[in-house]
Amino acid sequence: MADTPVADVHPPYLYPDYKSTRLRAPAQPLVRVAPSPLEATGPAFPRTFVKDSEADLTTWGRSAPLGEKMVLVGRVLDEDGRPVRRSLVEVWQANASGKYPHPVDDHDAPLDPNFLGKGQLLTDDEGGYRLVTVKPGAYPWQNHAFGWRPAHIHFSLFGNAYAQRLITQMFFPGDPLLAIDPIFNSVPEAGRQLLVADLDLEHGIEAVALGYLWDMVLRGPRATPMGV
Amino acid sequence: MAKKPTPSQTVGPFFARELLWKDGGTVLFPGRGERITLTGCVFDGAGAPIFDALVETWQADSAGRFPSGDDGARPYGYGRVSTDTDGRYAIETVMPGSFKGPGGETYAPQISVSIFARGLLKALQTRVFLATLEVIKDDPLARAVGDPERLRTLIAVRDPRDPKIYRWDVRLRGAGEAVFIEY
Repeated sequence: MADTPVADVHPPYLYPDYKSTRLRAPAQPLVRVAPSPLEATGPAFPRTFVKDSEADLTTWGRSAPLGEKMVLVGRVLDEDGRPVRRSLVEVWQANASGKYPHPVDDHDAPLDPNFLGKGQLLTDDEGGYRLVTVKPGAYPWQNHAFGWRPAHIHFSLFGNAYAQRLITQMFFPGDPLLAIDPIFNSVPEAGRQLLVADLDLEHGIEAVALGYLWDMVLRGPRATPMGV
Repeated sequence: MAKKPTPSQTVGPFFARELLWKDGGTVLFPGRGERITLTGCVFDGAGAPIFDALVETWQADSAGRFPSGDDGARPYGYGRVSTDTDGRYAIETVMPGSFKGPGGETYAPQISVSIFARGLLKALQTRVFLATLEVIKDDPLARAVGDPERLRTLIAVRDPRDPKIYRWDVRLRGAGEAVFIEY
């Protein structure tokens, strides 16, 4: 397992510029073990767990949400490039004003009654997904003076095995706030672009929605001697 | 062709409405089994409770079989809760059975645990044992850890007054820091 590229792209636990890591990052080295045979399996989500409508975050309210409508498409693959099929992908995000409908979000920006910012889907037989939403807004945070989080969409992936579980964030190309975001920059340079979607107009909807393309890659059999 | 994995990022503070499931702290299984509750608090390096952690669990059933189905609504074997304002979590589940690895090694009764939170750029992964130090001594993780003092951070202690309750506090950093694993 020494040749796995995992260490090259994942952030460290302790990244002092992101203040919350200072008291939460473990100080002891992690213990390296093979995934147990249990961890090479994972939860089976029934087809009924997800409704087709949950992949479109713009149809939840009585009318369309405010903001720039967008379509995000891509595939979920493993490190060998094989599709991760029929696996649960959860997404959540701020609205176009950079506000979450969450009690601890104290950003003084308006909620949008037509936008909940929550969706989920199962990947198809090619590992593909398609999400319709609005572009989230940037928002200020207390980590450092004049700190603003770049626009991002949160992703939670289950893969097909517990050992593949991943939570991450997708960012937008050309965003000047990426340069000052300690969460994004906690990722080693070789991995940062993997978190940035490509503008891909043809995957959008003509005269309606911008298109973006973003693939996600989960650890695969190379990193798991059990085979996943 | 090898592809680079997508880097991990923090779950952040705003997931409660998005990721939590109704009754996510009740782990479902098709058969019967001894119902137990795994509960405790999650603390940071200053000893303060972490009130915004997401705790997920995956485990074998009481016979040591891996869950493979669902009850029609939710998968078997998976638990998902957030900590409360005191840092407390609780997972109501069945006592997991031991199981064998590919080389014949025995995995002691255990629950695989992932912890996500603001300030955690990657999930913290570990396994909590529902058995004593003596019982787990040949478990692959117990062997890898070695030091019994560190191993003790992964043992859930049965409540002497209520044998259905197993208590496991998790310290992320500093004195009493739990053992975390990487694959």
